[in-house]
Amino acid sequence: MTTKAEQRKALERGLRKLNENMITLAELSELAIRKAVDGLARLDEDVAHEVFTLDQEVYALQIEIERTCIDLLALHAPVARDLRTITTSLKITTDLDRIARYAKDIGEITLQFGGARPDEPLGFMHLREMADHTIRMVDTATEAFVHRDAESVRNIIEVDDTVDRLHDEIFQDIVQRMTDRTLDVQTGARYILVNRYLERIADHAVNIGMRVVYMVTAEWLPRVRAADRSKDQERET
Amino acid sequence: MPQPTISVDIGNPTIESRDLSVWYARNQAIRRVGLKVPRHQVTAIIGPSGCGKSTYLRAINRMNDTILSCRTEGQLFVDGEDVYGPNVDPVILRRKAGLIFQKPNPFPKSVYKNIAFGVQLHYRASEKELDEVVESALRQANLWDEVKDRLDDNALGLSGGQQQRLCIARALAIEPEIMLMDEPCSALDPVATAKIEDLIFELKKDMTIVIVTHNMQQAARVAEYTAFMYLGRLVEFSRTRDLFERPHEELTENYITGRFG
Repeated sequence: MTTKAEQRKALERGLRKLNENMITLAELSELAIRKAVDGLARLDEDVAHEVFTLDQEVYALQIEIERTCIDLLALHAPVARDLRTITTSLKITTDLDRIARYAKDIGEITLQFGGARPDEPLGFMHLREMADHTIRMVDTATEAFVHRDAESVRNIIEVDDTVDRLHDEIFQDIVQRMTDRTLDVQTGARYILVNRYLERIADHAVNIGMRVVYMVTAEWLPRVRAADRSKDQERET
Repeated sequence: MPQPTISVDIGNPTIESRDLSVWYARNQAIRRVGLKVPRHQVTAIIGPSGCGKSTYLRAINRMNDTILSCRTEGQLFVDGEDVYGPNVDPVILRRKAGLIFQKPNPFPKSVYKNIAFGVQLHYRASEKELDEVVESALRQANLWDEVKDRLDDNALGLSGGQQQRLCIARALAIEPEIMLMDEPCSALDPVATAKIEDLIFELKKDMTIVIVTHNMQQAARVAEYTAFMYLGRLVEFSRTRDLFERPHEELTENYITGRFG
């Protein structure tokens, strides 16, 4: 029969492994989105392919983390902070996986351009700003997870509102340019998709941030889905 | 002395202690515990060995009185009456608050007599009434179907789990309002444990249950409220789900996550 101290040690070993894998996963996802944006900016197909590899690594690691979490839950019936750490990891692996998936989608758009941008890259300049905000949000959220820092992510929803506003502005801008034919439709459509992917990534960063607050403080921040928030905003205007 | 975290307000408690302290000779086992036990719910008391949880349980129906060197201070109310006040008959108190022990302790008599004995001590009952009480208590304890053909067999021939349910039936026969359980499943296998837990779930409809347990998963399964005690002090009292998901006290967190104890 194992003693309580031995059980605790086994759980701690599992939690350590989980934490190491989570940090790697967060780093890989963030790297994927950074590279995806960089690849698109320079229309570098090699970089796009690197993003595809990263996405596969993220997916495989996500599966491994899920298994670790299920083992820990099944074998140790964890409570309190341990429980919150494991359930939070289980939830945010999905967010990190989605972020890598959107990075891959951006990489595919890079390939679609076939190495040549048929139009002036002005539309992309706004997207660059959008991408910077989004990457910063992902960075803040993953750093908060790594350092168990709830305070740094408390206002992440407000940052997301900026991203949402930018998303709408860029969308309008692209549509306007396509309408007055200063931007060809194919390029415009691709930019609209990239714009949308970045906005979704920012939402996943918000999810991660809120889960980190729960993990560290056990507090549930009032959660309004981004979609509902934008609906409310529409109603207000 | 640090104050405990009490994160729920209990209105109309069945049991309430105020500054309850218990000594065994010079050794203080409970230190000024103030706790309200909610009515018709299950409250678990957890904590490492020697934290005073069993002593607290036994203080409720004055079982500690039987220990010569034991001294109690403070107040303990059952249904608003101070059970350590004057004119309280411990026998009547114990009829109101039955106690189930860690190890099943049936009398070395027949199954039937195990239950009838306690009833006859408290009430005068005809043979027919007695039969009815025995059957009803065994049914309530989910034991009737297993022993109805063996009522005259010696109770010590039953399995451990059956013996424990017999002890519960014995307590139920005198219709208590409170059931105090001191690690009732620690000597039982998982199947027998599940039967007792099912029983607890049914019993709480009509009575207040306080269960002392070493098994935190058991507390999480059966109890709506959980009290954590340490070194004779009450450290934290919360809804069970809150205590296990978001304990307020560092001590509670360290204990329930297995960092000590």
